[in-house]
Amino acid sequence: MAGERVLGIETSCDETSAAVLAFQDGRLALESLVILSQDVHAVFGGVVPELASRAHLQTVGRVVDRALSDAGTTVDGIDGIAVTAGPGLIGALLVGLTYGKTLAWRAGLPMIGVHHLEGHLFAPTLEHPDLAPPFVALLVSGGHTLLLEVRAWDDYRLLGQTRDDAAGEAFDKVGKLLGLGYPAGPEIERLAREGTPGQFRFPRPMLGAEGPDRFAFSFSGLKTSVRRAVATSGNLDHDRRDIARGFQEAVVDVLTQKTIAAAQESDLDTIVLGGGVACNRALTEAMVERAGSATRVVNASPRLNADNAAMIAAAGSWRLRRGETSAWSLEASDRMPLPGLSTEHQHSQRMTA
Amino acid sequence: MPEVRLALDTASDRLSVAVQVGDGPVAQREIRGARQHAASLLPLAEDALAEIGALPRDIAQVVLADGPGSFTGLRVGAAFAKALTSTGQVTLALTPSLLVRAAGKATGAQRILAMSHAMRGEVFAGVWEFAPGKVTEIVRPRAFTIDALLDLPPAEIVVGEGPDAVWKTLPDVWGARVEQAWPEAKTMLGLLLLSGGTRLVENIEGWEPDYGRPAEAQARWEQEHGRPLPDSPGHPR
Repeated sequence: MAGERVLGIETSCDETSAAVLAFQDGRLALESLVILSQDVHAVFGGVVPELASRAHLQTVGRVVDRALSDAGTTVDGIDGIAVTAGPGLIGALLVGLTYGKTLAWRAGLPMIGVHHLEGHLFAPTLEHPDLAPPFVALLVSGGHTLLLEVRAWDDYRLLGQTRDDAAGEAFDKVGKLLGLGYPAGPEIERLAREGTPGQFRFPRPMLGAEGPDRFAFSFSGLKTSVRRAVATSGNLDHDRRDIARGFQEAVVDVLTQKTIAAAQESDLDTIVLGGGVACNRALTEAMVERAGSATRVVNASPRLNADNAAMIAAAGSWRLRRGETSAWSLEASDRMPLPGLSTEHQHSQRMTA
Repeated sequence: MPEVRLALDTASDRLSVAVQVGDGPVAQREIRGARQHAASLLPLAEDALAEIGALPRDIAQVVLADGPGSFTGLRVGAAFAKALTSTGQVTLALTPSLLVRAAGKATGAQRILAMSHAMRGEVFAGVWEFAPGKVTEIVRPRAFTIDALLDLPPAEIVVGEGPDAVWKTLPDVWGARVEQAWPEAKTMLGLLLLSGGTRLVENIEGWEPDYGRPAEAQARWEQEHGRPLPDSPGHPR
């Protein structure tokens, strides 16, 4: 069967990753996962697309070989290949996609191009095999912030998304303002733990929005407020922790309140967190506490929340088992639409039809 | 089935792929349009293989044009070659993309300069001397400013493409015959038989294409800091 043992490949940004997943007795078993984080971007304070593409090409073969050998297999022992086709950095995507397509082509295997965000939706199923739709999902990373109602796999309703910066992008930009390295998320989280609550209070953007914007996000203004706080701080060394605390609290407030409201409005009792920002423990803890005991909050471990190939293999395995495959002419796309996605408007039209 | 050789050039806005079994007929497929390389490569290669009655798994050797040229195009070709050779059953030979252009126009013992667009006011250029059964690299292919290009030793023939301003002046400057030329993969199968035409790659995993110049961000950083960008292959998570 096509989805039984799947090799996943992910190169959409600055992690080169490969994984092998087996589908046995109705469950997914992660046999190997290799993630290589590119260090080269640290000196630039952000991902440089051309350097990311070059680095992927240097390492993709090694990473795939390692994932196969860690799983005790070779390409001959694989039943299908799942590879991120988008969205992401186009040059970076092209390396993994061309590599994955060619491996499958040579071996005569079915291949499926996977949407990166659908991978994030599937990531928690690797550690929580009982997790299944329907649920509300908050996907937060350096490239995305969106709230989805996952009615079934391949049936997603867009509730809201960011109008400007993604939450993770805001963390990185604020990190820069605070003089931190890249990526800044983990360092802001560490500083925030040491900061005093209430010393700096930043706005909670779009928290009071109503109507179609009630689940929309915006983090650009928040970043501007932090810039002002940094500029007016007489002693940044003294204020850094408190500013980090205030910034993180604002982000967490917005994300938790909108997600919980979305779950209540959709009458769903499961919330799934995914993406790199979901590694932030303050976010998870606040979501669990504020959602209450009647709501289950599911979050993958940090390794599976960051960009990784296990989640791509999981989503790909599901699609391959349904008999889906991609053509050899599959192209990478930096703005690939999420398959099965409808907007709230399209959804209500469907429901009333 | 005898071993199948596959030749591929993706360094310019044209993709050219050719296959051959033994010394049998060559099947070649081409497409023009830089943004189509990744989508077209496997269907074109499969179509060419079908013409000679072969399958992807029959490929025993890849000969790849390794640049310099389009960064993205080179990576598409390189990722294809790396995946194809990853099982250890396929060998990889390389040849400069400009040499493919030069060899396509060589008709005897000649010195040929091949050039292509490199943008930013530069061209990629290299010079080769052809002799029976042999080709010798005279000037390693790389990016040149127009002034530096005109300082190169004269060649009898200039092939390829370049900015109009320089292209049209070359016959007068060097007294050279100038011919437009694009890389054709079937030429690469011939280069395999020519001494100096290709080189085998032993460490395919560590190999990367000849981009011809560093990434812009890297060049700026190195200029600012006066040292090479630290080589950092990454860290496992």
